[in-house]
Amino acid sequence: MSNLDRRTLVKGSLAAMMAGAMSRAAFADSSEPILLGVSGPLTGPNAQYGTQWKQGFDLALDEIMAAGGVNGRKLAYSFEDSQSDPRQSVAIAQKFVSDSRIVLELGDFSSPASMAASPIYQRAGLVQFGFTNSHPDFTKGGDFMWSTSVSQADEQPLLARYAVKRLGLKKLAVLHLNTDWGRTSRDHFVKAAKEYGAEIVVSEGYIAEERDFRSTLVRVRDASPDGLILISYYSDGALIARQARQVGLKQVMCAASSVYSPKFLELGGEAVEDVHVGTRYFPEDPRPEVQKFIAGFKKKYNGQEPDAFNAYSYDAMNMAAAVVRIGGTDRRAIRDAFAKVKDVPSVIFGTATFDVESRRVKGAMNAELVVRKGQFALWDGKPT
Amino acid sequence: MAPMLTLRGLTRRFGGLTAVDAIDLDLAKGELVSIIGPNSAGKTTLFNLVTGHDRPDAGAVLFEERDVTALSPETLAARGIARTFQLGRVFANLSVMDNILIGAHTRLRAVRPAVPVIGPLIELGLALLRPASVKAEEERLREEVKIILARFGERLLPRIDQPAYSLSYANRRRVEIARALALKPRLLLLDEPTAGMNPSETAEMQGLVAELKAEGLTILLIEHKLEMVMRLSDRVVVMDEGKKIAEGAGEAVRNDPKVIEAYLGHGLSGAAEQESAA
Amino acid sequence: MSSWLDYTINGLIVGNVYALVAVGLALIFGVSRLINFAQGSIYLVGAYIGWVAVVQLHTPLPLTIIVVAAAAALVGLVIERFGLRPLQNSVRIAPLLATIGISFVLDQLVMLTFSPNPRALPSQLPDVRFQVGGGTIGPLDLLIAGVGLTSALLLFVFLRYSKLGWAVRAASQDRDAAMQMGVDVNRVNQAVFGIAAALGGVSGMLVGMYYNQIDTAMSLQATLKGVVAEVVGGAGNVPGAVIGSLLLGLVESYGVAVFGTSYRNLFAFLLLVVVLVLRPNGLFASARQAPPEPLTGTFIAPSRPLRIPRWALLAAAAIFALLPLLPVSFYVLQTLINAWLLGMLALSLTLVAGTIGQVSLGHAALLAIGAYTSALLSLSAAVPVGLAIIAGGLMSAALGTILISPSFRLRGHYVSIATLAIGEIVSLVILNWESVTRGPIGISGIPPLSLFGYDLVSPASIYWFSFAVMVALALLQARLLGSHLGRSFRAIRDDDIAARAYGLSLNRYKSLAFIFGGFAAGVSGGIAAHLYSYINHETFNTQQSILALTVVILGGLGNVVGAVVGSVALVGLPELFRIAAEYRILIYGIVLLLLVRFRPQGLLGTI
Repeated sequence: MSNLDRRTLVKGSLAAMMAGAMSRAAFADSSEPILLGVSGPLTGPNAQYGTQWKQGFDLALDEIMAAGGVNGRKLAYSFEDSQSDPRQSVAIAQKFVSDSRIVLELGDFSSPASMAASPIYQRAGLVQFGFTNSHPDFTKGGDFMWSTSVSQADEQPLLARYAVKRLGLKKLAVLHLNTDWGRTSRDHFVKAAKEYGAEIVVSEGYIAEERDFRSTLVRVRDASPDGLILISYYSDGALIARQARQVGLKQVMCAASSVYSPKFLELGGEAVEDVHVGTRYFPEDPRPEVQKFIAGFKKKYNGQEPDAFNAYSYDAMNMAAAVVRIGGTDRRAIRDAFAKVKDVPSVIFGTATFDVESRRVKGAMNAELVVRKGQFALWDGKPT
Repeated sequence: MAPMLTLRGLTRRFGGLTAVDAIDLDLAKGELVSIIGPNSAGKTTLFNLVTGHDRPDAGAVLFEERDVTALSPETLAARGIARTFQLGRVFANLSVMDNILIGAHTRLRAVRPAVPVIGPLIELGLALLRPASVKAEEERLREEVKIILARFGERLLPRIDQPAYSLSYANRRRVEIARALALKPRLLLLDEPTAGMNPSETAEMQGLVAELKAEGLTILLIEHKLEMVMRLSDRVVVMDEGKKIAEGAGEAVRNDPKVIEAYLGHGLSGAAEQESAA
Repeated sequence: MSSWLDYTINGLIVGNVYALVAVGLALIFGVSRLINFAQGSIYLVGAYIGWVAVVQLHTPLPLTIIVVAAAAALVGLVIERFGLRPLQNSVRIAPLLATIGISFVLDQLVMLTFSPNPRALPSQLPDVRFQVGGGTIGPLDLLIAGVGLTSALLLFVFLRYSKLGWAVRAASQDRDAAMQMGVDVNRVNQAVFGIAAALGGVSGMLVGMYYNQIDTAMSLQATLKGVVAEVVGGAGNVPGAVIGSLLLGLVESYGVAVFGTSYRNLFAFLLLVVVLVLRPNGLFASARQAPPEPLTGTFIAPSRPLRIPRWALLAAAAIFALLPLLPVSFYVLQTLINAWLLGMLALSLTLVAGTIGQVSLGHAALLAIGAYTSALLSLSAAVPVGLAIIAGGLMSAALGTILISPSFRLRGHYVSIATLAIGEIVSLVILNWESVTRGPIGISGIPPLSLFGYDLVSPASIYWFSFAVMVALALLQARLLGSHLGRSFRAIRDDDIAARAYGLSLNRYKSLAFIFGGFAAGVSGGIAAHLYSYINHETFNTQQSILALTVVILGGLGNVVGAVVGSVALVGLPELFRIAAEYRILIYGIVLLLLVRFRPQGLLGTI
């Protein structure tokens, strides 16, 4: 019940392919669900993130349906696999914009895939709601580009404050993914950390496929920092932590929220003990939206703990529902509704309201966690 | 008369084996010299050294009294040396016509102006634009190819547009020789032109080589079929284990005890071929 | 000073890891003269079987190794029997493509079975660390080194002293002669694939334990690094592969030491190109060997290309030209726009790979050069888009030819490996040369396509523009093939030694082919940049190069119409399979395998 059943989808997409123009008026029937398009990776190197998106979407949809749907209608999504490849995301974009049932698009995952599709969404007047698109230029693609991705200009100063002000680190080694996200994050982090009075003694960018960090860590060691900052995803973050401990680096490690995943604990094992993570929420967070999300997620997915990407997609689906409630099924009205939604309950933001200028949400929540006994726990202020 | 080709102390070693060992040879204009010898005597290696496909470890090659040692094959082709290969190396996917036109490549003038540095770019431009001069040159060469093919009677002309891989073995050898002739060579090296041919095909090939010789072409020939060698050659050079063991008129060489021993002392194939040819 | 010791040790440790893959690749190459692109996938399969054994079945380590080795060997045997043996008598390029198809299929099967999420693969060895220099090594490092060295040694003994090993060596030196001498080549191949796959599977498991992490993306990286190490050591040379791996590890480690982490792979691929240029047969081959005397046309199948009548081509062109006037959806138009852009790349590649025989695996680099040139010119210098695209094509032609020229003296598979490395180098330079390319941030806000001051933004106008450019390039290329250059290129492809004997300079004509092809690829990249409005170093990746090569082989090498037909097929098929959702790449892989099996000379045949 989480999604359209496959047959409907098949019929839908065939119909869209064969008679895009004719289908325009055909689906106004209110027994049909309101359809969102999702463009994201289900195969290819980033497939894991698309899978996580689905989990968050499906949970949010369950809750939305249980609460009676949107304006009395069902909400559903059609997920098209782009492999995070710009060539496929542009084709998907044309498919969505010419399918009149689609009222809003979510995704894509990577910046090249998302931003290549932006001109198509912008010209056709369909909102491209990129909830993991932190690239600073994403929402500059036009007034149909909106994002709930936490701006790194917001997130990184929080991490810098945690590392420098709270943990008292003064000489930092920054290891970052050499992607647009990692690079932007690093720049914001470095700026904020310097403002707080810390020194960046070494900064190393690595490519996503990297597995071996031993030599990088020798460079880090030789710069004798008192803390390591990981601007990483959970899989590479876990690799770095393990290898840092193996080569005998005992410095404090502090990681960006993107490592916040049970997988980080599983892959990192003992090595990630005492790693500090600045996140947007944490399991014991008393906020009702967080408790509802975590309890619901565990129930739906056999006790599995949700991670950051699950939370992003869960929030995104809730936001989409809120926008559709105001904007209805008209694409332009939906665009306008993004400027109107106020205080949508959100795991990441507490309550989310768009800044109309930047088309992003400001004021992400902040939680300072540390890994203790193999679990994420709120940091108690004690040094590690 | 000035020598066409002169080899002095030409040597090539592969690891411990000396494939060509201090070979001296003089070839006058219009002469036909055959190189014979048992298998792996170094004959083909010698051809490779003369045509620039391999570099000698020692010694010199002079062509028309200029030192051409270790020049590239393409330079030597431009100077007028053409060769055929032991294994019949035609361009398998090219038509008979195209195979032979490649032979005339060094003679393309209109489409390959001798301009330094940007010459290749001009060649590309001319190939795409095809001005009248380029078209005319191509047309002339195509006519010429048909004249060369006429030497082979009806063997190749009806198959002129067929890909070379579809030809019989003997026809592929003919295409190779036609390709070499299209270069208008000053020196022609033939590496076993009749290998794998039946007696009538061999006789036909022998007639062709005799014709070329009569036209004044200078030819260096590797051949196992002694009867043909004896009929055609002005001189015969015998090689064994990289060395020249005999040189002279056909009959004298044939009865040289060193030559007989070399043939008997080595693999049976050389001797067998000698018998079959005799 | 002590840091250098650490860098050295780290280099050796990671080299150790590469060696496990490289040895398997070397063994297969030694016998079949085939770069097995599926080796990384077997490595992946081994890792996941290891996971099942360790996490689900709780097997002890020795048993785990046996289970993984046996299961992976079985996969190897299946690949050999059903994937490669039927291709024995077809073109040499067919098995290469088949291994690419097999790797698609295996990777997808693993992903579908185990989900793409990374998993932890706990080490079953005691967690003790030994202090060496400034760092530590653990028992797994020793085990990996042990497995690497032991397998290299065992292989050496096997090849030297056993009867089957003797047959393997005989087959690797001269397959036909070995068959005449009564060697059962099929059995040899089976043995080799079984052993190599067992090794590959065990190495995947050990490396997974080493990092306590396995995921489905590890396959391509393993293949890439393994191929580099293998070729550095001398393709087909088993001990050489081990030494090549260690050397690769060291070069990477020192590269990190001197220039920083982001330059790491740059050094790996530069090492490869330098070795290929200076010692094309690997570091451990003797310098001067007897010149090879290959039979003619072994790489390219003799083929009678399908002649498509002119009226049919005209009719097809007319239908496609009129398509936007018919009630077709923008999605269909966009898919075809993608096909036309890929078509331009395929035209380029079919010329250099098909017509002149330089099978390039780094062709996406030419797209990237064209795209960046065009994007930067139109953004920074306000050059009109139409002119910027042409400039992108010219830059790609010039720079691409210069970059690829070191590979001109290489033959066969070595060309593919060199161009693969050159492609990676271009991508890494784009990533690191921030002052020009803006590094990982990429270039955004690239102006849309426009011509004579009119913006081309509607799908129909973009469709017509890209279709017209592709048709123009195709006609130009057909004209080129009809000239003396066409036959010269093909002659070089069929037999470069005979071609040189007739005065064809390889450098000159390979350069001309790359100049012409580079232009088409650069134009394609330029148009893509303006279409996407945003590009970064990931936009034009290795997968693009592999896709383009697949198109070219599918369409028929050197075949202009085939390149276009292949592009439409390979862009269209995954879109048609969309209804199969996450199974679509699996289906695509199987279709590819069937095509290679039943039509190795391509749909329309080699020209």
